[in-house]
Amino acid sequence: MREANAIDFWRGVALVTIFVNHIPGAVYQRLTFSQYGISDAAELFVFLAGWAIALATGRPGGADSPRRVVLRLASRTLEIYRAQILVTAVALAMIAAAAILLDNPLIIEWHNAGPVFVDPVPTTLGWVLMTHQLGYFNILPLYVGILALSPIFVLLARVSRAGALLLSASLYLAAMILELNVPSWPVEGYWFFNPLSWQFLLVLGFVAADLDRTSPAFRVWARRLQPVGILGVLAGAAVVLSDWRPDPLAVPEPRLLFLFDKTYLSPARILHFLCLLLAFQGVFAWVARIAPWLAQGGSALGRNSLEVFVLASLASLAAQFVRFVTGGGLIVDTLVVFCGLCVLSFTAWFVEWRSRSPRPSSLRD
Amino acid sequence: MAVPLAAAVLVAGLTPARAQTPAQAAPAPPPAASRIDLSPECSVPTAKLSVIAPMPTVKAALRDDRAVRVLVIGAATGGGSFSAMPSYPERLRSELGRSFGNAEVVVVHRTLSGEVGSGAAGLVRTVTAEVGPDLVVWQVGAQDALARVSPEELTEALDETIGWLRSHDIDAVLVNPQYLAAVGDDAQYVGLVRTVDEAARRARVTLVQRYEAMRHLAGRGRERDAPSGFALSALGKRCLAEHVARTIAQAVAATEEPAPAGVPSR
Repeated sequence: MREANAIDFWRGVALVTIFVNHIPGAVYQRLTFSQYGISDAAELFVFLAGWAIALATGRPGGADSPRRVVLRLASRTLEIYRAQILVTAVALAMIAAAAILLDNPLIIEWHNAGPVFVDPVPTTLGWVLMTHQLGYFNILPLYVGILALSPIFVLLARVSRAGALLLSASLYLAAMILELNVPSWPVEGYWFFNPLSWQFLLVLGFVAADLDRTSPAFRVWARRLQPVGILGVLAGAAVVLSDWRPDPLAVPEPRLLFLFDKTYLSPARILHFLCLLLAFQGVFAWVARIAPWLAQGGSALGRNSLEVFVLASLASLAAQFVRFVTGGGLIVDTLVVFCGLCVLSFTAWFVEWRSRSPRPSSLRD
Repeated sequence: MAVPLAAAVLVAGLTPARAQTPAQAAPAPPPAASRIDLSPECSVPTAKLSVIAPMPTVKAALRDDRAVRVLVIGAATGGGSFSAMPSYPERLRSELGRSFGNAEVVVVHRTLSGEVGSGAAGLVRTVTAEVGPDLVVWQVGAQDALARVSPEELTEALDETIGWLRSHDIDAVLVNPQYLAAVGDDAQYVGLVRTVDEAARRARVTLVQRYEAMRHLAGRGRERDAPSGFALSALGKRCLAEHVARTIAQAVAATEEPAPAGVPSR
């Protein structure tokens, strides 16, 4: 088990934020940083995924061979795909169970689930192929998509870091200018998170981790630019609190470059996120000093991010049902968020307990 | 059964107040004859189904003999290539094409995947810019009701979005949430239905009263086999295209001929 560290801690923060933000209407959403900026926890999650790839594939003692890089990333991609299928199946079962128990057919339309029940033949194929995604269950498909692309950038970066960044930026700009996205099916539309755009943030995370490890100047400049980051964060908060956003029919073409679009990850979101990174660098060290329990708890969530994310997604869906049945409110929201955080913490503990414990088969020896 | 709009307005005036949502009290534009028939299983009196308002952009598209682009936003209702029935967007396109004298109608469907309140309003702007429609048909309120969004937040999202659409000369139709016995006594749910109705009345945009229509279908003549629960929900999905198409056709028929391009309007 790794010691508490900044990467795991911020991943844990992203997981808690995603859990709360996936309970629409909950009063605690107002306490998450996503409500006070142009970017949100999704950016943090994807950037840190890129950072983690750099740590996993390029150890200081000797980088993995290209073959091993491809196999490791392919293995992780399959693992995440498996998690997406599992979490979607359980979510659909929860929606069906709630509709039956409450005798309320409206519930089967929860978050785009309707076609699975009304039109099961093509939609079953759709959700297994990830071309049909439930609302709030669409981050893992993005993760599958960008991880599947990642070996290209990881291996290219070994030859030329600038080349990998340039290729990634070109794909990002092409997707935005030509509005290229993965279509959804059987329901008309596109993926909520466009992997052709979001891969750029993964590569930024990868390159940043690589520079952080190899370039002392990178760290020096990151510290020097902290005031710029703080100004950017304040500007982002002012924009959001004033409820201003660009009019998509009034901006020049290519319009996605000038919006705050989440699907295509408009540049304003990336800029705001980079400001967040600069502004909050060093905060983990401060948290670890004055509240070590918080640093350890957050890091435990982040160390087990896939399992915690899966349970967080299901816990937020359960919380939505509880809010619907009870009518919500401060007391209910407090209870569901508290219970959810307990589930997340227990999941992290349980996964680590399992990895430490002897396998059940050894009991027979 | 086809009901002339004049009769519908008269019926609306005679309907007991408790059966009306606030939007029904809105003054309707001068009626025009409508020859669009609803199928027997979807038959609902016009007064319970529609509150109409002018649709100058759609009218202008028809006058200029160009394709009418319709953006439908809301939950997918199934149907399509691998199903026994056509999908809601396909049926809407076919019904509108017929009612517009076989004019070309393009219907694009987008779901909001659970976004509510201001998040939904933002996505509506984004997909509208992407599609470039003459008309936006927005099924709104159901996800907000499931998420227990406050009426104030929904009101703000609706007012802002309708105002934005109007500022870009895009016509709008709101479709309020469906009725089911399970939510009939739910004050918060019914409150959000009224919030949608009031927003339509305030902004003078066309409203499809899906809630009232399905309540009518559920209690039709106290028939022994009146649909309820999952059967009513399925019927509501089958009827949605007819109800929306009929309302749009009536609203377009009742819209004054817009001034040709380049001629200042009154």
